[in-house]
Amino acid sequence: MIEAEVKKKLGSFTLEARVSDDNFVCLTGKNGSGKTTLLNLIGGILTPDEGHITLNSKTITNLPIETRRVSIITPDSCIPHLNVDDHMVWGAKNKGLKIEHDYITEIKTSLGIEFDGKVRKLSLGMRERVALATSLISKPELMLVDEALSNIDNRRDFIDAFKSLAAKAKIDVIFTTQYPEDSSEADHHYQLESGKSTRLF
Amino acid sequence: MRQLNWLRLISGLSLALLVIPVFLLLYAGFGPLKDPMGYSYQVFLSVELTLISSAIAAAVSVVLFTPLAYYFARNKNSIGETLSDIPASIPHPIVGVAILVIASPLTPFGKFLISIGINLFDSILGLIIALTIVSAPIYVKSMQPFFQSMNIAHENYALGLGASKFRTFISVVLPNSGRGILSALLISMSRAMSEFGSIAIVAYYVLQQPFYGVNPAPVLIFQYYTYYGLGAAVTASAVMILVSIAMMILLRLVKH
Repeated sequence: MIEAEVKKKLGSFTLEARVSDDNFVCLTGKNGSGKTTLLNLIGGILTPDEGHITLNSKTITNLPIETRRVSIITPDSCIPHLNVDDHMVWGAKNKGLKIEHDYITEIKTSLGIEFDGKVRKLSLGMRERVALATSLISKPELMLVDEALSNIDNRRDFIDAFKSLAAKAKIDVIFTTQYPEDSSEADHHYQLESGKSTRLF
Repeated sequence: MRQLNWLRLISGLSLALLVIPVFLLLYAGFGPLKDPMGYSYQVFLSVELTLISSAIAAAVSVVLFTPLAYYFARNKNSIGETLSDIPASIPHPIVGVAILVIASPLTPFGKFLISIGINLFDSILGLIIALTIVSAPIYVKSMQPFFQSMNIAHENYALGLGASKFRTFISVVLPNSGRGILSALLISMSRAMSEFGSIAIVAYYVLQQPFYGVNPAPVLIFQYYTYYGLGAAVTASAVMILVSIAMMILLRLVKH
């Protein structure tokens, strides 16, 4: 469960947003509405001017990124020099997690990862699949997916599979999308407009 | 009628101001002022000493100062950046004097060094330390924009996967920084090769094998000019210019 009530001023733009939900949360809004700013605040890339953020009852407002147990995935997210298989277990290895080979196979199959090679040489869509898979395997408490579904073909099937895997691993997800129809896949939907959030369902 | 490209013309003239003296020196050194002393075995040893000591100094800069360059790239620290520029900003003989004072019996650290048999005066170690100090700021200034240009999304992703900042630097940033480090290393090495002020104080000549009695190349050129006049100095300078041009070509090849 993520509870974030934050205020942040960046130049002439002010974000005043509230998100309080769990499971699969969709965040939509026009360009410049503050989606990335909100995710950066929850992820720890930015610090709020006012407000608080708690994750599963633990306050993470001023914690550094690496201790929040929040994974941030954008279209550029990857560790370029690794190959696909090493990349997928990199996060879990960092945390000392023991991951079953069957679990990795299940994730690869569900997310359509049927390729290998150096991650830097993959297409954008392939890289996004690998980045999301890596994050799932590392078992964070929350995944922030900032437009990182935009280059994936068969997006609806992919989102279904991704949602199912996250739910099974008890990982909450907040994802942003340029496609309003993606919100139908979500358990909850927030809309951001000029820095103000509205909970639609 | 074709319009005159003023920018190209002005740039060409500026470039000529930089380049013509160098090529005139090459022409003079291998032409009218050619002096066999300028490409003697002594010059060869001096160039060898300069190349080796500069390469080691550049390598030391990579090991010691890459983390600092990365820190400056990702953390705004005006005071730190200003302090790191000091060795490059002060007259370089001062760097030489500082090294000698620190390593002398006048200071506790100097007494300690002497007690364990380490001498920095007229030694290869002293030469390398002086070259490292004067060229490290150039290394840091070269690496910092490279790190700043790297996509921070990779690092934020790694941190979000639970990696510490140190682990992220070692496992994500460094493996993708090879070309940048090599380029900055060569720039730093070029700077070290051209150093004179500090090494004229610390290691005017080196009294250790295999370079016993050998001057670093910039010092040798100065010495030739002082003792033998322009001919020997110009020819030795022309030899050194060829070595420097080779370094520049290598740098270009690495960059592209």
